[in-house]
Amino acid sequence: MVFDEGGGCLSRLFDFAGGTGMGYSQPEPLLSKDKVALPSNLMRKALPRWPRLSEPEMVRHYTWLSRRNFGIDTGFYPLGSCTMKHNPRVNEVIAQLPGIADIHPHQPEHHLQGLLSIYHEMQHMLAICSGMDDVTLQPVAGAQGEFTAVRCVQEYFRKRGETQRTKVIVPDSAHGTNPASAAMAGYDIVEIPSLENGRIDLEALKAVVDDTVALMMITNPNTLGLFETDVPEASEIVHAAGGQMYYDGANFNAILGRTSPGLMGFDAVHFNLHKTFSQPHGGGGPGSGPIGVKSHLAEFLPSPVVKKRPIVGDEAKFAVDDMWYTWYEPEHTIGKVQQWHGNAGAIIRCWAYYRRYGYGLKDMSEHAVLNANYLRHALHREAKKADVSHMFVDGAEAEVAKHEFTISLQPAKEAVGVSAMDVAKGLLDLGYMAPTVYFPLVVPECMMFEPTETESRDTLDTFAKDFAQVLKVDAQTLHEAPITTPVRRVDEVYAARNLCLKHPFDEE
Amino acid sequence: MVDQLPNRGLETEMLEEMGFSSIDDLFSDLPEHVRMSEPLPLPPPQSEEEIIADARRLLGANLAMGEAVSFLGAGIYRNYVPASVFQLITRGEFLTSYTPYQPEVSQGMLQAMWEFQTLISELVGLPIANLSLYDGSTAAAEALTCAVRVHTRKASQSNTVYISELVPPDRMSVMHNYCQGAGITLKVLKHNADGTLDIDSVHSAAGSCGVYVEQPNPLGILDGGLTQIKEIIGKNTALIVGVQPVSLGLVEAPGNYGADIIVGEGQPFGSPPTGGGPIYGIFACSKPYLRLMPGRIVGRSIDVDGKEAYCLTLSTREQHIRRHRATSNICTNETLIALMGAMHMSLLGPEGLEHLAYRNMTACVLAKQKLSEINEISVPHISSAHFNEFVIELPRSAADCLKYLDSVGIIGGFDLNRWYDDRTNWLLVSVTDQTKAAEIDLLAAQLAEWCSMKEVVA
Repeated sequence: MVFDEGGGCLSRLFDFAGGTGMGYSQPEPLLSKDKVALPSNLMRKALPRWPRLSEPEMVRHYTWLSRRNFGIDTGFYPLGSCTMKHNPRVNEVIAQLPGIADIHPHQPEHHLQGLLSIYHEMQHMLAICSGMDDVTLQPVAGAQGEFTAVRCVQEYFRKRGETQRTKVIVPDSAHGTNPASAAMAGYDIVEIPSLENGRIDLEALKAVVDDTVALMMITNPNTLGLFETDVPEASEIVHAAGGQMYYDGANFNAILGRTSPGLMGFDAVHFNLHKTFSQPHGGGGPGSGPIGVKSHLAEFLPSPVVKKRPIVGDEAKFAVDDMWYTWYEPEHTIGKVQQWHGNAGAIIRCWAYYRRYGYGLKDMSEHAVLNANYLRHALHREAKKADVSHMFVDGAEAEVAKHEFTISLQPAKEAVGVSAMDVAKGLLDLGYMAPTVYFPLVVPECMMFEPTETESRDTLDTFAKDFAQVLKVDAQTLHEAPITTPVRRVDEVYAARNLCLKHPFDEE
Repeated sequence: MVDQLPNRGLETEMLEEMGFSSIDDLFSDLPEHVRMSEPLPLPPPQSEEEIIADARRLLGANLAMGEAVSFLGAGIYRNYVPASVFQLITRGEFLTSYTPYQPEVSQGMLQAMWEFQTLISELVGLPIANLSLYDGSTAAAEALTCAVRVHTRKASQSNTVYISELVPPDRMSVMHNYCQGAGITLKVLKHNADGTLDIDSVHSAAGSCGVYVEQPNPLGILDGGLTQIKEIIGKNTALIVGVQPVSLGLVEAPGNYGADIIVGEGQPFGSPPTGGGPIYGIFACSKPYLRLMPGRIVGRSIDVDGKEAYCLTLSTREQHIRRHRATSNICTNETLIALMGAMHMSLLGPEGLEHLAYRNMTACVLAKQKLSEINEISVPHISSAHFNEFVIELPRSAADCLKYLDSVGIIGGFDLNRWYDDRTNWLLVSVTDQTKAAEIDLLAAQLAEWCSMKEVVA
């Protein structure tokens, strides 16, 4: 990247120490500053050592930084498990409208009928797609959705007096958030091993299920991208012992309109709206993690959820249709998991995304699955052409994948000493984001691909060819990769041993 | 017709090449009895034009605070986010990136977050900050569990933390949800009649794992007494302070009076109110808490050529490595909003921050003065310094007053009866840098008008 080196004086924020002129001018205070009286022990003695930048300098600094970052807009981003689909820009425009950007969560209902109606529409849509009875939009991330659902189940059992249920079962291939969320709620985690082929082991499940189990958490398709055909049986086993079934919706993009957690026998589910419904991921967030539950858990949901009723009296002048949308506190609510009403701005974007598909959400999932299977096919096809097909195998045997799939580069590792990480870094040099590496842990030298439905066939074909070319590169060169990126392989051990978590200022 | 699928029309070709005859073949692994037999009962797809028209109609039915005169705060505050922040945040390289797992192509966001950590660290006066939690309430809740992890082994009151009784129930509820799984007991610290913390009650917290207080407190009071807490509770009990970050342009950084963990709603820097989300939670701490703290952290490192480079560090605390022994389940956070905060803070600079804090405080002084001049209204904590908000006591119910003010186009504040059962006549009036003198005059005039009225008929 030849332009990158031009950073120079643009690159270091804390080297900007210009005059006391501010980056943007502000109006004068309403009173002179001497009218402010503070207890003397609360007067700030020294201002923070923040930089002093003019607007042109600030704009250049962050533009320079942005050019050292890779997003979906930059290129193909097949990061498995993350559903990096295109983010339609109209959603960004909508989220800046004052009717969402400039509203306060404590405003009364008659100020927020538009927002509440959109919440209601989203609750309804998610309930339909998931086969659940009720939905809350309050959790702000997938992990928080998991935690919220676990809490609802916990209170459900407490209310029933089944306090001996102290365990939560997770497969060893589960996302790390599953055991972390259940442990946060106070549960003991029982991990069950997957079968050789990456699928759930019903015998192992039977061996651990008894009346001390509160919940089993599972994602379907699983983290290998395979549909777990035995999930209905797993549901029966867990339910027979009085436990509940939880669906991790991280992989929901694969199944909309084809099946649902409700049909598979689940009691609760979270949605990663930012994945399935395309809230831009912004380098790590924000997200939105609503949950859906069957009716027996509905009165435990966080407060409030949105309900509707017929209009009364002069409400008509504030209404957006012939119904009144109102906050409702569930009878046995667990309370709040975020202080406000969830990530309203993310929910609006996801609403706009949903409106683009409507009943066509099924097409979305079908194309996601089509693209994943096509990419898997193309990788093998191009590897054969380039005579590198011996370098990798499928991570799991399956006739069809769902929205993502894994391969194992163990053969390459054994034959020529090239690791999944080496291949990932080689792909960076060709202008691609690397697939997810080393997850799930059950596949050695794992690489996990999720192309999503918004990639064209040309992109998939070109990527497959380039992938084969990377496998032709000699091991020594790949160990050195990447060489064209803003920096080369970063020393993470050095970072942990020589902790530098903030600008050192004069201590440097 | 859905317009976001580039391979529409190519399905048959792609399927044939793979040896399939229909899309159904790709779902042949779904057992018959779990297949959805009917189409989704949802409306048809819409075009971009139709969607934006519907959005304008529905969101236009909301009352944006800028269309009225607003004195509503209570945790989320009206602010001004500079135009350049909104422009820069649309850079797709930031907007559409994922968590920076491949640092070589994520240096921009990593460096920006390392700079964010520095900006927050400098602001609050503690050496370590993470790159955001969900919001102020979850940051406070995670601070409590973090304090217990660090201190409970040596604590005489193990698994116990003390919390200011003024903390709003919604925030308290989040804390309860986060703490109950770890078996943490939440005990309450009393406040004096003037709204300040009862310092004597702090002695009861010695030997516990942590004390949580807010500065300014939920009634807007800047409480000089909080500077004495650390000396009372000692080094084996964490002092956790929740802040409104803009106030720190004038108010002493809690890190300089003994705070061990500082949390807060980052929203006033970089984010419009947005109905309460997405915003971002600030989390900063001192060194003893580093290895047991929640959330992602960026470290400065070097690449193989010895060139300066950034990467995520101390990840062994996190769920994707440590699983059920992780310090938190957090994965997705609020990075993009924190980035907006960093941009805003960079533009302000130290003097701009101080100026912004003055604007907030002088507006508060002016409003307090004007409203206290109304005969029927008293300001119970008038002798205290306030930031952003203060309580007025009304002759009749705050709910009734708000209803009247609403009828004349004023969002009058927050009815404290929603937090405190015994305070039916307390209204929390919030002003910020966005409040104009004429708006304060208007509020004063309308409050006087309401006071002179009989009960407003519902």
